Amino acid sequence: MMKVLKVPARTIAVFVLPCLLLYVCLVFVPIVVSIYTGLLKWDGLTPSNFIGLGNFKDMFFNDPIFWPSVRRTLLYAVASMLEIPLCLLMAILLNRYLRKANTLVSIYFTPVILSVVIIGQLWKTIYNPASMGGMLNGVLTSLGLESWTHNWLTEPNIAMFALYFVSLWQYFGYHLLIQFTGVQNIPDELYEAAKIDGADGFKADRYITLPLIVPIFKISIVLAFIGSLQAFDLVMVMTGGGPAHATDVISTHMYNSSFLSFKYGYGSAIATFLVAVCLVFTGFINFFFNKLEKKYN
Amino acid sequence: MINKKTKRTFSFVMSATLALSLAACGNANNKEDAEATKAPASTNDTAAATKAPSEEKVTITFQNIYPDPAAPSTQMLKALVEEYTAAHPNVTIELDTLNTDQQKVKLKTQAASKEVPDITIVNPAAQMKPFVDAGLFAPLNDMLDQNGLKDTYQEGLLDYYSFDNNVYALPDGNNIEVVYYNKELFKQAGIEKTPTTFDEMLADVKILKEKGITPLAIGEKDSWTGSFLFMNILLRTNGGPGFLQDVMDGKKTFEDPAFIEAVDAFQQLVQAGAFPDGATSIDATAGGNIFKTGKAAMWVIGSWETGAVDASSVGGKVGAFQFPTVNGKGNPNEFMLAPGSGFAISANSEHLDATKEFLNFFTLNLPKKQFELKNAVGLGQKVDGDLKAAGYSDLAIEVAELFNNVKGGDLAFDNTMNPATAQVHLSSIQNLFVQKVDAAQVAKEHQTAFEANK
Repeated sequence: MMKVLKVPARTIAVFVLPCLLLYVCLVFVPIVVSIYTGLLKWDGLTPSNFIGLGNFKDMFFNDPIFWPSVRRTLLYAVASMLEIPLCLLMAILLNRYLRKANTLVSIYFTPVILSVVIIGQLWKTIYNPASMGGMLNGVLTSLGLESWTHNWLTEPNIAMFALYFVSLWQYFGYHLLIQFTGVQNIPDELYEAAKIDGADGFKADRYITLPLIVPIFKISIVLAFIGSLQAFDLVMVMTGGGPAHATDVISTHMYNSSFLSFKYGYGSAIATFLVAVCLVFTGFINFFFNKLEKKYN
Repeated sequence: MINKKTKRTFSFVMSATLALSLAACGNANNKEDAEATKAPASTNDTAAATKAPSEEKVTITFQNIYPDPAAPSTQMLKALVEEYTAAHPNVTIELDTLNTDQQKVKLKTQAASKEVPDITIVNPAAQMKPFVDAGLFAPLNDMLDQNGLKDTYQEGLLDYYSFDNNVYALPDGNNIEVVYYNKELFKQAGIEKTPTTFDEMLADVKILKEKGITPLAIGEKDSWTGSFLFMNILLRTNGGPGFLQDVMDGKKTFEDPAFIEAVDAFQQLVQAGAFPDGATSIDATAGGNIFKTGKAAMWVIGSWETGAVDASSVGGKVGAFQFPTVNGKGNPNEFMLAPGSGFAISANSEHLDATKEFLNFFTLNLPKKQFELKNAVGLGQKVDGDLKAAGYSDLAIEVAELFNNVKGGDLAFDNTMNPATAQVHLSSIQNLFVQKVDAAQVAKEHQTAFEANK
């Protein structure tokens, strides 16, 4: 068997080449180009000036919007990752107590199919002030909790959390599905054997489900992390980064700098930063999970 | 062991995958090749077009900002395009219709890759300068001389669109900023006359608020709306136009008392509850609809909305007045000026001559069509005909009278300052809607941004 699958390196190269070329053209080249434009003072239209690390200096030390938007992005990432254990718990419960959980999982999955623009508009109406028929505030008022009502999307201290919530709500079903499939793929024999040995319920989860789900768990974590770093569409649709940058994340700040303030070079510098953060954290997550997997095997 | 058949199937599948992916690459390349060869070919096409204009098939992309099918401007656009294509069957005009903010972003993206649509729309002065500097627009001087087009424009209007004696865009109008008000709601609140001072306006705001009527409609998610209102106040506290020009010339700074006074006055409006709840999450169109559906008493906006207000459900109940004086300063006859948005032609257009010919037709007939559609208020071109006799509304005539009073004014902030400073200004004003800020702090923020982006 091994002999058949043993393919000369040259053949591998030939088969890998098309995808590699596409990858290099569509991913690697733009990254390198944007790292270069990050070193320019350039409005995107007229000739550019090379200013070395000037943009990065501005970004780290002089831009009052940059660090808060980084903080919001990272908080978003943490929140999305914290959601995954919850999804796993739900997946385990669904798998154990329901005979046919598929319908339920499909229902949880529905928001993922909807376009972010629709989700955004939907939640915008839900969050509206009561005077404009906002559902959330309407419900709170009718429950006598008037003091809890807010202008969810326009109060600077609250708006960002209102956005986090929508995003977590939308992707809950997505991660639930991934975890659910993972849990389902664990062979029943293992649980039966454990039962004979006296491990049942959560004890079985602790010693069988958790160790075996680690790779799937990792996928969800990485997806959630990268997805939230790139969060853009939902913010754009719901608040456009406002009021006064209170809901700006890295990607919207990059967009505003490049396209509204005509600072392409500066926008590219932010993009470079974003790529670097993605690489570092993905590396870190991989490293962490590799350790974890080793520990269990 | 894997038998021979499986092995053969396996290799077949793999090579099929390879073939497919190669084919995919090949397609992409072919397309690029086709485009590469198209470019030089099209130069020949244009040469041919001058000889026999009616025979060659031409597609002109027309990017525009008239998305609202109920608005007269949209009907004007559609009617003129239909008229032209009926007379020139070889010409197809593709409309790329967007709302204002989307169009701005799309054009900038297209400009970055030098793919400006044949006809697009730009704002005057500072906002179009980067495009002109980058050589993206074709000068329109020759086309203005055809069919007497140049003489139809009001004197001085084209200056806002000219750089180095070349005209680069033709304005769709010439507007001033006025305060529309709903007479019925004013009556309901017991307000008898329109405010002539800022204090009276504040008092009216409080009365309306008490009656549960939104005093001022706005859609501040599109942050230009708040800035446009704010600039009225600055125009007054500065005692006349030219504040931003003075800042740019280094004669004043944003920390000037006039600016601080304007910020304070604006905050008074916000604190009095003049604006709808959650204003910063409402977009400009939705903000306007608050007024047009009779839910708000006033709306400070450009006179370009006159036709649309008349066509809305509050049509007939609306009047207009000048922005009041602030703390006894300023002249009500000085207005925020909005010399339209201009139609520009891409310098790299594949069918430059055909596009110029169409735009010449379009701009020549625009005033006549707008007049027919009861949208002649705020036109940038001279038009024959008497508003009253043509059955125009009282509002239209009232606004037209305000035009007669105009004694100069200022352009919007983002038409005067460079884009980076303008962005800081826009979000700084947006911030005033959601929290109280020390005016000196706002001024400092402006000054810092101005100096950093000079």
